[in-house]
Amino acid sequence: MAKKFKVEDLIKFPIAKNIKYWIIAPLAIIILAGIMFGVYAGVYKDAGKGMNIGIDFAGGSLATVALGDSVLTDATYSEYESLIRDAIESNENAEKVAAYAVSDEYAALYGKKLEGITATIAKAHITYSQTSGSGEEYAIVFKYDNVSKSYDSDNTLSTYRNEVIKQSIANALKEKFPDTDIDELQSMITYENIGATASAELIKTALICLAVSLALILVYIIIRFEIWSGLAAVIALIHDVAILIAMTIICHIQVNSAFVAAIITIVSYSINNTIVIFDRVRENLRNERKLNAKFDTAVILDNSVKHTLLRSINSTVTTMIPIVIFAIFGSSTVNEFALPVIFGLIAGFYSSMFISPSLYYVMSQAWEKHKANKTKIKTEAAAKPKYVGAKQ
Amino acid sequence: MKKYKSITILTILGIILILGTVFAFVSLDKGELGLYNYKAFPKAISLGLDLSGGVYAVYDIDTEQESYAEMTQDEKTAAIEGTRAAMETLLFNKGYTEALVTVSGETIRVEIPDVDDPEKVFELIGDPAELEFKEYVDGKNDKSLDDQTGSVKLSGKLTGDDVAKAGVQYDTDSQYYVVALEFTADGTKKFATATQALTGKQLAIYINDSLVIAPTVNEAITTGRASISGNYTYDDAYALAVKITAGSFPLRLKMSQCSTISATLGVNAIKAGVIAGIAGVLLIMAYLIVLYRLLGVGAAISLWWYTLTFLFFLAVFPWVQLTLSGIAGVLLAIGMAVDANVIIFERIKEEYAMGKTIRTATSTGFRRSLGAIIDGNVTTIIGAVVLIILGTSTLKSFGITLLIGIVMSLISSLLMTRLTVACIQAFTREENAPLYNLFREEGVARVDVEEVSEKEGD
Repeated sequence: MAKKFKVEDLIKFPIAKNIKYWIIAPLAIIILAGIMFGVYAGVYKDAGKGMNIGIDFAGGSLATVALGDSVLTDATYSEYESLIRDAIESNENAEKVAAYAVSDEYAALYGKKLEGITATIAKAHITYSQTSGSGEEYAIVFKYDNVSKSYDSDNTLSTYRNEVIKQSIANALKEKFPDTDIDELQSMITYENIGATASAELIKTALICLAVSLALILVYIIIRFEIWSGLAAVIALIHDVAILIAMTIICHIQVNSAFVAAIITIVSYSINNTIVIFDRVRENLRNERKLNAKFDTAVILDNSVKHTLLRSINSTVTTMIPIVIFAIFGSSTVNEFALPVIFGLIAGFYSSMFISPSLYYVMSQAWEKHKANKTKIKTEAAAKPKYVGAKQ
Repeated sequence: MKKYKSITILTILGIILILGTVFAFVSLDKGELGLYNYKAFPKAISLGLDLSGGVYAVYDIDTEQESYAEMTQDEKTAAIEGTRAAMETLLFNKGYTEALVTVSGETIRVEIPDVDDPEKVFELIGDPAELEFKEYVDGKNDKSLDDQTGSVKLSGKLTGDDVAKAGVQYDTDSQYYVVALEFTADGTKKFATATQALTGKQLAIYINDSLVIAPTVNEAITTGRASISGNYTYDDAYALAVKITAGSFPLRLKMSQCSTISATLGVNAIKAGVIAGIAGVLLIMAYLIVLYRLLGVGAAISLWWYTLTFLFFLAVFPWVQLTLSGIAGVLLAIGMAVDANVIIFERIKEEYAMGKTIRTATSTGFRRSLGAIIDGNVTTIIGAVVLIILGTSTLKSFGITLLIGIVMSLISSLLMTRLTVACIQAFTREENAPLYNLFREEGVARVDVEEVSEKEGD
């Protein structure tokens, strides 16, 4: 019979002793994220735009176009939706707003010109569209971002832009309804500023939850395993979140409140992989200690990773299947959540296989060495000749 | 396990699963059965704003209100935030965990998911108004508690600001619901003085200067906790509690808009979720069966059981409102649910490879994986519980979904799979190991001294 193929043969290289190699990829991703952050910030000339913060956190504007249910039906909805969408997001509007920011008119009203605003910065981006009301009031509602606060702290420019957007929606509608008076069309359109729905409070609470969870998980692992497993697992978890955030920056995925949920999802799920490997390490160490006093921790760690490899792969695959299908069939907003989760799952697989075992090795070896040194110093000190007072 | 016993168990399980599937996915209209409308589980799950839409209302802060006009900017900000938080808590307690309450300047925007009647907003958050306790005289000339001509002479009025909380409680003695009131430290003192002076008389509650109710004071209440009883049904008591809570908001508000809104993601996201759920479950089942053959069949049955029970609990728990992230959480949970089975099966394969019989390998496999499974899930449970205890509305809801998912998956992977695998194994013999994808390591023979191998290393 031919030798049966085993998945663990895939790993022929030592894992535990090679932390120097395992940190290359994560570091590269994080450095790349830093660079991309700078690039995006440069494009938008705004440090805050390095990460694509959505209107859930930043607030924005809301335009309501009350066409009424006689005009707006299931059949015509998508036609009007894209007509108005184009009107809101048009480059013409953006240029007009950018020009207004440096006009004398603006300076006369608000004391100074807003330098440095380009059409790219002034352009509106729609995050959501939905319907509202019924009957005559049946309307399409668009939520879109405001001009960045670092230029337009008091929303004067955003308010002006809303007025421009109102005009351009009305003009677009005028082409559809040439017989209707433009004033009447304008009266269908209202806009308002909306605050952030995901408040700073949400982020604060989420951070507190994360910190408390991590602390409790650390304590639990230390009790059930040992201190080095606990530390390695928690550092691996922090790594997963860091990679998730880095990839989100690199892909410029919009960050809304679902992003907080994505991070929490990864934290609660990704610890599992590490635990399963450390469970095997715990068992193998126990057996080894019984058999021979002198054993190589690195070999045990490597074997534990290899023994659980098939399981790690299978679990990651079964977890990924539904979420990947979700991402494929879902809209862009679905992907705002699904993609970070997928990044997090991959990072979790990587860290549980490579980062946490090698970290465990580095830390436990350092501790053993430290202990050995201490004993050595003690024995050396005891071996030195000295006078001791005689007992009475 | 004997064959006939296994057949009995599998038959019962089959019937339960088939009935469960029918109940889970088939909705019945009143007409068809003549009883009442029955909703399929996925339809009965309450959805968040992004998936189902709801109603919204915009409140303007009454800037002419004296107490507001006198505030400094910081106090105003704090009072607005306090009102926002109070509204959010009120909605959360009613099960609208995904409701959004947003402040923008001097307006507060409330969006409530899964409600289709704008009028419902009034029922849910009342009309944020001014509430005052007064000494009851005749319903028209009632006296403020700081009115020097009345029988109570406080230094200030007893108002909504003094009420910390109003809720509904069930009174086991009378078997009716009561409205439970809790006062602030300041309010406790005022309420104690008032109830002392008015024992046996009526203490009226006014909202926006109109009389709401005038309960009789039974005794002096000095603890700051009181309840209003009046043979209320739950709905009556709740309506009154909402009125009082709304009156205890720090600010007086005026509703300026109120209408319905549709979902922001809606149909597409739900459709993607359903496709991903169904395709995901089927693919995972196929994957398990290919990898573990008959063991995989056992796991596939319990995965189906898990899917049904998970959906059931999501539908019946009041604090679950699924949003986009909730759907993704459910999808992940399906994937995670089989994780424990993968751990167990890999272990069984190892144990068998080292020479154990199928049966011993199976029981050892289950036992030895227990540690890893428990430890892995306890850490996740810690995360979920922290979210439930410390999190605010949306985080809390996410934590609840997560917790239901983990507990159900533990039951399914540890108990259910064990049962199904045992039933399946009743039909196979030792030679059928390949049916389980079990193979001996090269050169390892069957070890019959099972007692020894059972005990070692534990």
